[in-house]
Amino acid sequence: MKSSFNFIGLPVAALVAPSAFAVQYLSVDQAQQAIFPGKKFTAAPVKLTSTQKKAIEQKSRVRVLKDEQQVWRVSNGGWFVIDEVVGKHDFITYAVGLNADGSVKQIEVMVYRETYGYEIRNDVWRAQFVGKNANSTFKLDHDIKNISGATLSCRHITDGVKRLVAFYEVALR
Amino acid sequence: MKSHCVELRRARPLLGTIVDIQARAPNDFTAIRAVEDAFDAVERVHRLMSFHDPASDVSRLNRDAHKQSVKIDKWTWEVLHVAHKFADESNGAFDITVGRLLTLWNFLPRLNAGHPERMRGTSRTTNRVITCEVPRFAQDDRPSWHDIILEKGRSVRFHRPLTIDLGGIAKGFAVDCAINALKNANARAGLVNAGGDLRVFGLHEEAVGIRSPLDPNRPAGTITLRNRAIATSAIYFSRKKSGGKTRSALINGQTQQPFIDNVSVTVAADDCMTADALTKIVFVLRDLVGPILIHHAADAVILERDSPPRWFSP
Repeated sequence: MKSSFNFIGLPVAALVAPSAFAVQYLSVDQAQQAIFPGKKFTAAPVKLTSTQKKAIEQKSRVRVLKDEQQVWRVSNGGWFVIDEVVGKHDFITYAVGLNADGSVKQIEVMVYRETYGYEIRNDVWRAQFVGKNANSTFKLDHDIKNISGATLSCRHITDGVKRLVAFYEVALR
Repeated sequence: MKSHCVELRRARPLLGTIVDIQARAPNDFTAIRAVEDAFDAVERVHRLMSFHDPASDVSRLNRDAHKQSVKIDKWTWEVLHVAHKFADESNGAFDITVGRLLTLWNFLPRLNAGHPERMRGTSRTTNRVITCEVPRFAQDDRPSWHDIILEKGRSVRFHRPLTIDLGGIAKGFAVDCAINALKNANARAGLVNAGGDLRVFGLHEEAVGIRSPLDPNRPAGTITLRNRAIATSAIYFSRKKSGGKTRSALINGQTQQPFIDNVSVTVAADDCMTADALTKIVFVLRDLVGPILIHHAADAVILERDSPPRWFSP
């Protein structure tokens, strides 16, 4: 088997740690048009009272961390809400379109950012993870657009959407 | 990359992860249409193969297939066929019936009340003790992929109660379906990434970072792909304590033991379902995986602590 390995080593000193993975998918305008194409939007931000926060938490079983929620009224009677969730590994801004009856129309991720874990002192093979083989070329890249690796769960968004559906019941309906 | 092409990139929460779809097309209309069609395909896979949705094909099978034949959608049928082929080829290293252990260890919820194969344990979310029988199986009598019978007319029957989970293969399949949708909608090029199961098509090359198993928020390096799929399996986001032991959602089908080391396996293949399934097989077979990789024209790299990357490249 050993003969089929084919990579080229590089000294550690030549490498700089790449930055954390982040993607900006949509601006506010773009997210609005992606979920409600051609509609008009009127800003209608909501500041929650402590009673409303408790009511939302009871309905959704998800903690409400912020008092303020960015909301737009849509010309067709629906609602457009921007929200953020923070996980152990990630920080996500996303938009939810609600139909006039409060049901979820569409969810779009606007910004996805991964946070650093911990520093690695002796990352042996980072230095050697540069090379070639028959079908794939390896190289270091500081501007990574896509990343492969075990799944990061979307549980935080799922919880966030549950919270927003309860938010609709308590504050918008 | 043609200069008169427009590029569109969207991401939505699906399949328990974040699905990222990118398309290049001659105009906005085509690009939007292609990306929408691709998300529709992923949503369809999600509906059919979700473990969490009681109405999915997977839930219907887990609930009823040991009692009667269950007719399923042609997409689920295709995935079960491929799963069967990989289980056979790998001598059970890849086995979708490890869903039983995933529920036992709380990686998956216990949905199917009345299911005879329920277990005793403490529910993580409610702290209530669930009082059911813990099935203990002799080595040669435990449930496995051999108990799944694919009958004629897209019907499936189980020889005994089973808990199947398509988590090790359905994401790859969904990526392939989404890529087909992009092509059918006349996108010139595209990329679909479902939580690290990823495929690209088109003339251009795409650089994809591979997570470092020691620090998964950093890439260990990048791999450049053209008209090819890649999948990475590792346990860095799923390892946890359960019943006093460290477990993960990645299980050796042959020994029924979870992998708990900081290792990652990346496989490149022509389609993403193959890459997805092969990562689990490489995890189990390690140095013996060569012939299977050759058969599928796939290549693999294993990353682990204190050793250089190991390439398997037929």
